[in-house]
Amino acid sequence: MTVPATPRNVIMVSVTMFLLLTLVVLVSLTMGAVHLPLAAVWRALVSRGGNSEAAVIVLQIRLPRILLAILVGAALSVAGTGLQALLRNPLADPYVLGISSGAAVGAIFALWIGGRIAAASPLAAFAGAMITMVWVYLLGRSGGRLASYTLILAGVITASFLSAIILFMLTLLSTRDVRGIAFWLMGDLSVTPVAELRILAPAILLAIAGIYVLAKDLNVLLLGSEEAAHLGVNVARVELGVYILASLLTGIAVSTSGAIGYLGLLVPHLGRMLVGNDHRLLLPTAALGGAILLVLSDTLARTALAPSELPVGAVTAVAGAPVFIYLLRKTAG
Amino acid sequence: MKTKGRGGTLADSSGLLTCVLVATLSALLPATVSARTVKDQTGRMVNLPENPHRLVSLAPNITEIVYALGLGDELVGDTDNCDFPPQATSKPHVGTMVNPSLERIVALKPDLALGTPEANRRETADQLERLGIPVYGVTANTLEGTLASIQDLGKVLGRAAEATRLVAEMQARIDRIENRIKGQPEPRALFVVWYRPLITIGPHTFIADVIRAAGGVPIGANLKGEWPRLTLEELLPLDPDVILFPKTESFSPSLKDFRGLPGWKDLRAVKDGRMYFVSETIERSGPRLVDALEELANILHPRQP
Repeated sequence: MTVPATPRNVIMVSVTMFLLLTLVVLVSLTMGAVHLPLAAVWRALVSRGGNSEAAVIVLQIRLPRILLAILVGAALSVAGTGLQALLRNPLADPYVLGISSGAAVGAIFALWIGGRIAAASPLAAFAGAMITMVWVYLLGRSGGRLASYTLILAGVITASFLSAIILFMLTLLSTRDVRGIAFWLMGDLSVTPVAELRILAPAILLAIAGIYVLAKDLNVLLLGSEEAAHLGVNVARVELGVYILASLLTGIAVSTSGAIGYLGLLVPHLGRMLVGNDHRLLLPTAALGGAILLVLSDTLARTALAPSELPVGAVTAVAGAPVFIYLLRKTAG
Repeated sequence: MKTKGRGGTLADSSGLLTCVLVATLSALLPATVSARTVKDQTGRMVNLPENPHRLVSLAPNITEIVYALGLGDELVGDTDNCDFPPQATSKPHVGTMVNPSLERIVALKPDLALGTPEANRRETADQLERLGIPVYGVTANTLEGTLASIQDLGKVLGRAAEATRLVAEMQARIDRIENRIKGQPEPRALFVVWYRPLITIGPHTFIADVIRAAGGVPIGANLKGEWPRLTLEELLPLDPDVILFPKTESFSPSLKDFRGLPGWKDLRAVKDGRMYFVSETIERSGPRLVDALEELANILHPRQP
């Protein structure tokens, strides 16, 4: 299905997705290990404060976590959409290209030299993501031009190399740290303090807006980089921009919530099925769709085995891998 | 508050004395940020409530200590892993030690949560703190440390006298073991955390300390880390006198199986049948640790008939 990307359609689709997200958020707010009646949730939301435990649970535990799921879901999905367009390869995403592993190495390294996961590490994770991206880019750049399959291979190999580095670092850390890191690596949205959300939210939104500015160029790039260059697109600049912004989004997402796989791979596919290939329409759809999917996944993670919690990365992987295989077979056949 | 009818008047008065002593000593200590802001055993600053009476325990050993101090009624929640005493299993559970449900904890309205870095994540303590629930942490990696933790929790929970009595009882049992095994040759013991691959304990772990207190020598004094791996090639020349296994549900092979296992069957301890299961409380830093210690001492130094 392809929807023409008129401004009216962009707004219509965005508003519809946003309403859907709002609905999902409201449903998610009422679910958790503690049963709260709808009225109590509503009162907590409306009164904005109060020290009743319903207010604490809704406003200080569930809401920040849902907001983080929205931000991380949007960040990973937009990063995946941008990379898939750039590489003209539906298998590209921050994980396949090793950027997430690079971010994880950065975050663990920050912890190693005395930081704390989820606190001082976003910068180190961004640095790790950036260095990995540059490294994979250089490896994949055969003969001066970017060959997308070489790049994917370079990414896969880099990712497995970095995973080995992570294992090596984990054996050197104390058991106590490893327990925390192991959880974070599996994807965990529960630890980011509200104060950090105030810094992360603008950073993520700006990076998403940055990629959106390049949406038209990404459309032209789908024709091939030579054709795009003929049509007046500064290919090198678009590539660089998307790489930096995707690394930034991945770095922030990984440092706050660990490795949440399959979103960056899956959401762009679902988005294309819904609205087609035009990035002016696809990017907002992917951002909001990724947010919706991650809020849903995390709600499942919080409630499936309550009061114990599952790592959300396990939920997205279990739900995402089969859907992805289905999509692959469908496109192949 | 009612006290449990254990111990005589002597123990009571000595407990009272210690209580007074502790109170005087803590008054002499340099003033902290506020009267009730204290540093816990893990080095975190904790805003202790005046008289905590709604407790959530985040680890099985802490649950055991809370019950042993006579505070079972004030425990409003514990973890899925808290299995002793049996009453502890019917308390409202907040999830597992590593990943408890914050909202469950908040809903129990505790005025103090108790945790330990041996079982919990730092992140959990930080999150609870942000939600206004103080978390007091204890930590121990020796037998002595366990006694100190119990004493410390007694002080924090307003049960210093009970703690002193409990610690004195435990210390007496430890001393009895020490006296009994004094001068006896110390068997070299291998503790098998897992057998395929062989994972044993480092020299600075809790279990190593208990083995030493029970009159044994944990093999591998130069091993690094908490749970080092050992190859069978390295094990053969070390040739332990005794091999110990934790009695857990996840440990499936029977001791007989090792007589057929290549590498293992050539060990002297395997040939002589000196392989034993030790109860799980050997790694639980609580009141029942002494049970495990006595059990182990009887394994390493069997009583002469």
